[in-house]
Amino acid sequence: MRNNLIVSGSPHIHKQESIPRIMWTVVISLIPAGVAGVIIFGLDALWVTLVALVAAVLTEIIFEVLTKKKITVMDGSAVITGILLAYNLPSGVPLWLPIVGAVFSIAIGKQVFGGLGQNIFNPALIGRVFLMASWPKYMTTFVKPLSYDTIASATPLAALKEGKILEHISYLDLFLGKRGGCIGEVCILALLIGAAILLYKGYISWHIPATYIFTTAVFTYIFGAKQLFHGDWLFHILSGGLILGAFFMATDYVATPLTAKGQLIFGVGCGLLTAIIRIWGGYPEGVSYAILMMNAATPFIDRYTKNRIYGTS
Amino acid sequence: MRDLIKEFTKGIIKENPTFVLALGLCPTLAVSVSVANAIGMGVAATFVLLGSSVIISLVKNFIPNKIRIPCFIVIIATFVTIIELCLKAYSPVLDRALGIYVPLIVVNCIVLGRAEAFACKNNFISSFFDGLGMGVGFTLALILISAIREFLGSGQILGHTLIKGFEPVFVFGMPSGALLVIGLLLGLFNLIKSRKA
Amino acid sequence: MREITRYGFTLALICVIAAGLLAGVNSLTRSKIAAQALAEEQMALKEVMPKAEKFAEVKSAQQVLYYKALDGQDKLIGFVFKASGKGYSSVIETLVGIFLDDRISAVKVISLNETPGLGMRVTENSFTGQFSNRDALDLSGVQAISGATISSRAVMDSIVKKTQEIRELTKNEK
Repeated sequence: MRNNLIVSGSPHIHKQESIPRIMWTVVISLIPAGVAGVIIFGLDALWVTLVALVAAVLTEIIFEVLTKKKITVMDGSAVITGILLAYNLPSGVPLWLPIVGAVFSIAIGKQVFGGLGQNIFNPALIGRVFLMASWPKYMTTFVKPLSYDTIASATPLAALKEGKILEHISYLDLFLGKRGGCIGEVCILALLIGAAILLYKGYISWHIPATYIFTTAVFTYIFGAKQLFHGDWLFHILSGGLILGAFFMATDYVATPLTAKGQLIFGVGCGLLTAIIRIWGGYPEGVSYAILMMNAATPFIDRYTKNRIYGTS
Repeated sequence: MRDLIKEFTKGIIKENPTFVLALGLCPTLAVSVSVANAIGMGVAATFVLLGSSVIISLVKNFIPNKIRIPCFIVIIATFVTIIELCLKAYSPVLDRALGIYVPLIVVNCIVLGRAEAFACKNNFISSFFDGLGMGVGFTLALILISAIREFLGSGQILGHTLIKGFEPVFVFGMPSGALLVIGLLLGLFNLIKSRKA
Repeated sequence: MREITRYGFTLALICVIAAGLLAGVNSLTRSKIAAQALAEEQMALKEVMPKAEKFAEVKSAQQVLYYKALDGQDKLIGFVFKASGKGYSSVIETLVGIFLDDRISAVKVISLNETPGLGMRVTENSFTGQFSNRDALDLSGVQAISGATISSRAVMDSIVKKTQEIRELTKNEK
């Protein structure tokens, strides 16, 4: 994913990077957040994740058998989609919900476009938005952290939207994930460990996550409160799915811009949309919609930020 | 006679206005929430198609070529207004359900499209069958889309619950669900067509 | 020049025929449409105020402010009015019937566009049924729909607010 590639004359050295290798590293980098989710919400979180993962892989196999295409599950991309989808669900959902979501993600979000590399949108987010629009009741019933019981609890963002005053929640709680929310989004610490692996390996670049988080922070700081420049920007960074979205979903290789300049635009766009939805929109959280909307804008961003090819006009 | 049957049947599958010609998608997206609405809209549009096609083919020699479009629009608008008044008077429930989409038949591309592509070039008997076929094709397409959407979106067909304990997929009751269903059906139609070829 | 006259004449002729046709249909259906609209209105009013026999509009500058509900002997037994409040994603409009002592007879949601499965559930009887026989000025006992607090609150608050307005307006009639 480095830019300014210089292709010199042969001989070329083959580097041991391949799609499966990158994808399986991403899977590993997602594990800390999942472990944290299970610790916070109990074993339900594990079942939801496993069910989504298996359903995503099976859907991919079945679809590729039916359309007589090469079976590509071993590249790990379906596994990632399944995990990311589960991370975007509350832990208390009935188990058919992640199955339906995973089937929709893979079949409608990915395979009908032609499989890996062809999808316009992030498949996991397509699945989540589909579930959100279809069964809002389940998708907005969150489990209270560390209670291991189905005690309903609102997410901090939802409470904020309804005008309730946030109490008993500190920045440290938010950072460690002691709050209601989706399985994989709550523990910021675990997400940052995973993100560090990807950044160190160079599988994702800093452009999108940094501009995304920075823009959201600035915008919520300016407009987040009744008075200008009084918004609680740290709260907005630590709550909702911003960190999960910025590092793991807005950096999807397929549906995001190719050049560094394009990625900066993409990140700023995501940040603006997220902040706008959170502050003025109908939903308490806007990360998934923001990323999907910018996914749709990616072809245009790519067209206007194409690297100039030297020697042509 | 065989030609007339052909004029009629082509609108149902081979030149289906929704799935093949992709005409009139706006009202299709909007009213296909329930089968009852779909039937109402389909019948109303079929009536307008029939009436306007026959009249236009009858007066085609009288209408100068250069002003044919405004003439067609006036004729179509007249039929639509008649339907709207009748709906309001005799079926207020359907009138409320179809809402703005009845007046919008005026600009439904199927109606003007058939007037322009067929009725103004053919005699009134074949125009009648063409209009009828297109109307039936449009109605069937609407029923197919709305049956899928109503079943998935509310677990019912024509108000009857089919499966107990089925949790409705609300998205299919929304405009985004209409786009999904129509997109997938268009793909399916193209798949079948490419298999045949 | 002759061309244009001919075109104009043709178009005018078609328009005249169309207008004549429409005038005919309109005269046939007009009374029926008016009757339908009236019947519909009466039915909706009756639904929220089943004890009343008749309803009388109270207008101010063409706008219906509220309806007086009258019993068989033309005695005033309550009022029916529309209340509307901003919900989650739309304005929720309700028709409310109250007795003279501000007790609610029934509430019916007439127009809304909320989230299906959440806010849309304010139309369900499990929610609207709770309003009957409650004091319209104190709805604190009504249980909001879980997950749809904003929509539920919009209905409750708009009813309380409008009841206060109606009370001001009808002070002299009781």
